[in-house]
Amino acid sequence: MSAGKRVRPLPETVTVTIDGTPGQAWAGQSVTAVLVSAGIWSLRRNPVNGQLRGPFCGMGVCLECEVTIDGRPGSRSCTEHVTDGMDIRTATHG
Amino acid sequence: MTQPDVIVVGAGILGASAAFHLAERGYRVVVLERGAPNREGSGTTAGNLHIQAIHTRRPGQEVPVDSARLLPLQLRASDHWSRIEEQLGADVELRRGGGFMVAETAAQEQELREKHEWERHAGIPTEVLTGDEARERLPLLSDRVRAASWCPLDGYANPLLITPAYLAAARRHGAELHPFTPVTDIRRVGDDYKVLSGDRSWTAPVVVNTAGPWITEISALAGIHIRMSPVAIQMHVTTRVPPVMHHLVQHIGEGMSVKQVSAGNLLIGGGWPAAGLDMAGRSTVSLPSMAGNLAQAGRILPFLGGLRLLRMWAGPLAATPDEMPVIGEVPGHPGFFVAGGTYAFTLAPVWGDTLCRRIAGEPPADPVDDLGPGRLLYDDATTPVSP
Amino acid sequence: MADVMTESETDVAVVGGGPAGLHAALVLARGGLSVTLIDESDTLGGQYYKRRAEQLAVAFGDFRPRGTELIREVRDAGVVCRTGTLVWGAEDGGRTLFTSDVRTGVLGRVRARATVAATGAYERSLPFPGWTLPGVVTPGLALHLATMDRVPVGSRVVLAGTGPFLLPVACALLEAGAGIEALAELNHPYRPRPSAVAGALRQPARLAEAARYLLTLARHGVRVEQGARVLAAYGDTQVTAVDIAGADGTVRRVETDALCVGFGFRPSTELPRLLGCRTQPDRTGTEQLPVVDADGATSVDGLYVAGDCAGIAGVHAAGVRGQLAARAILRRLAPGRTPVRVAGLRRRARALDRFAALADRLYPLPAEAVADIPDATQVCRCEGVTAGEIRQAVATGWNDLHGAKAATRAGMGPCQGRECGHIVAALARRDEAEGFAARMPIRPLPMAATVEGQEVR
Repeated sequence: MSAGKRVRPLPETVTVTIDGTPGQAWAGQSVTAVLVSAGIWSLRRNPVNGQLRGPFCGMGVCLECEVTIDGRPGSRSCTEHVTDGMDIRTATHG
Repeated sequence: MTQPDVIVVGAGILGASAAFHLAERGYRVVVLERGAPNREGSGTTAGNLHIQAIHTRRPGQEVPVDSARLLPLQLRASDHWSRIEEQLGADVELRRGGGFMVAETAAQEQELREKHEWERHAGIPTEVLTGDEARERLPLLSDRVRAASWCPLDGYANPLLITPAYLAAARRHGAELHPFTPVTDIRRVGDDYKVLSGDRSWTAPVVVNTAGPWITEISALAGIHIRMSPVAIQMHVTTRVPPVMHHLVQHIGEGMSVKQVSAGNLLIGGGWPAAGLDMAGRSTVSLPSMAGNLAQAGRILPFLGGLRLLRMWAGPLAATPDEMPVIGEVPGHPGFFVAGGTYAFTLAPVWGDTLCRRIAGEPPADPVDDLGPGRLLYDDATTPVSP
Repeated sequence: MADVMTESETDVAVVGGGPAGLHAALVLARGGLSVTLIDESDTLGGQYYKRRAEQLAVAFGDFRPRGTELIREVRDAGVVCRTGTLVWGAEDGGRTLFTSDVRTGVLGRVRARATVAATGAYERSLPFPGWTLPGVVTPGLALHLATMDRVPVGSRVVLAGTGPFLLPVACALLEAGAGIEALAELNHPYRPRPSAVAGALRQPARLAEAARYLLTLARHGVRVEQGARVLAAYGDTQVTAVDIAGADGTVRRVETDALCVGFGFRPSTELPRLLGCRTQPDRTGTEQLPVVDADGATSVDGLYVAGDCAGIAGVHAAGVRGQLAARAILRRLAPGRTPVRVAGLRRRARALDRFAALADRLYPLPAEAVADIPDATQVCRCEGVTAGEIRQAVATGWNDLHGAKAATRAGMGPCQGRECGHIVAALARRDEAEGFAARMPIRPLPMAATVEGQEVR
């Protein structure tokens, strides 16, 4: 935050649900940021060895951060931004 | 081993199968491969095991294949494939869950009935199902399917694993593999053939030419002119999904094959033509073929629309001018054998066995004289050999 | 069979809306040519000029406002900006580009008389035990979280690897409120050596930049360890600790909640390689770069490259190269209208290249990097293929890079070999830098539109 400049309002907050649990985020944050802020690092399991995986490259290349957003599986959490009412589901079971 | 019993040129699936059968039989075998093994047609093919009668034409194919003629060989292949993992001591991701060949129109349904008669005659178990019956067995099939021919013996294997498995087994029986060793010349030395790669050479009474689209080029080195009509076809692979489909699905009306492999990806092919055949490098894929193949597959299996395309590639298909396989000794050139043509993947174990028997002076398990290379020979050395 | 592919034509297609692409598009448009700028992301800017979401920019200010300015100039110049559009294939030397709308999946075709590939770069990883644990990330991810989202990636962050990038990332993390446990730089770039200093002094701006970062870190009590490297990461469901070997060889275990490891950048060269351009190994010997002339023209007629995808050289070089490529295209397509003043730009490009070369010398990749990877460590993250499995495939004697991929599935996953390609290539021990062959689709392509049966004429 710039010191000594005019005070800006905090960003608008939105409500998202992560695996059914509601949480708050700033509008426009990346889904990765919201998950990390909530302490959620494990997002899915590797289909070959079942290992837990989470965000890695942060720019849409590695495809490790995929979650289901508003019913769309295979959504990259690093390239998508939260909207009010967004439903985010990880796939760490099984 | 500079004086083996047999020199095999080309380490695709046919060369590998031949090397295995021969080496297991006790022959001393050298395999020469210009690049890495399994790089060309054998490494880029769909890996389908066709046991029910195959569709007669690929998209763009002019000459139909004589499907009925191949059936006894397909049945023989089915037996071989049932034993292959045990025989080679390797996992080749073999799937024998059966397959559907679907029809969308009345005319296509009639074709299914016709071929069912050929299959019955040849002893291959198939059933013609109504669309509803097919959907009951495989709910993923769309309403566009009017009828389907079901064969419990259809399946697939992983083309990336089978050739190396054959080669490893051949090696265990004493065969030598020389990759990155292009053949540069072939000379007669008495009754033998001297095969050269630069300043290295091997001499043997028998040469087996399994060089696929390069059968023509290799044969020409020995003064033998064999006409081939190679084309390039393409494959499409989706990202992986949990197992949803255990059958091979094909189409009687036009080339199409869809299946889910062990890793979970869906493979979509059917012989759609690539943009062009590049004999020197890697052939390029065609967008219209991609669109056509995927649209067709999506008509039959709509769930594909929810998947993502991960890879496409083009590879050569060593077709012959009459679209039938070629196998046997070249007339007038004792000891020079050729094996190739389409459906080589399915028929690979049969061709390896056939070559081995012929070289041992025994009759093949099934008659194959009509598939000999004599019919593809031409005398005029100046006739252009490219298709 | 419903829709037809969306078709469009343009004088010049620019693929990638980062610094290089933006500069190229601007010069081209101002030179009077019609330009289409295509980017997969919803917003232009690429990585370096990634824009803060509007709501966050309102609250926290714009980040790197030069980016917003440049984007506005590009739009004002009349460049057609196709954001949210993936270029997944190309043919005819890049004169035909195949696109897909990231949201709807609708396919498209863009025809151009010349094409600039400005596809940037992504971070290079070197596998180590535990690198696939959740919580192990690239420095770039941590940077985006800090600068875009104002989120600290952790409170006990460990940064490691090598490269000038580690310093600005560390500073950004501090500004976002992250706590930094350790910064382990593999090399000794900050210990002045005569040759290094002489080179750096020719680039006073870059030297000053590095000095500022080091000062900031010193003020926050973050020690930049040199000659230090990560040995292994530990944790159950996510990373909780990391072993760091110091320059003196002693190993210590550090508790962490986020491990950010990166070893520089890899150019995204899929598009030019797909089109068959000639390539040569880069200075590090680990990447294949398109062979180009002084303006970025590749061996494929009408195809140019600019920015980090042509070789890692940073944002300033990207802008200069973008302008050079644009001017070369203007000379070709609009010869009457071009101000021909490229000597200065070319000089600047050469100077920036020299600095990039210096960076390569200061931050070399460890010679034994690949040999040191334990057999049990995964190399291909997507397919879970270990170094040992790849070594086994290579040991047969008949597997080159492609053969190793075929035998192990390394490189067959959704990232299409981007993360592991250089490691598999090194394990396959080929003579020169090689990568997995570039193939269409360049990125995984949703099939909904194709399966619906789009007509392709």
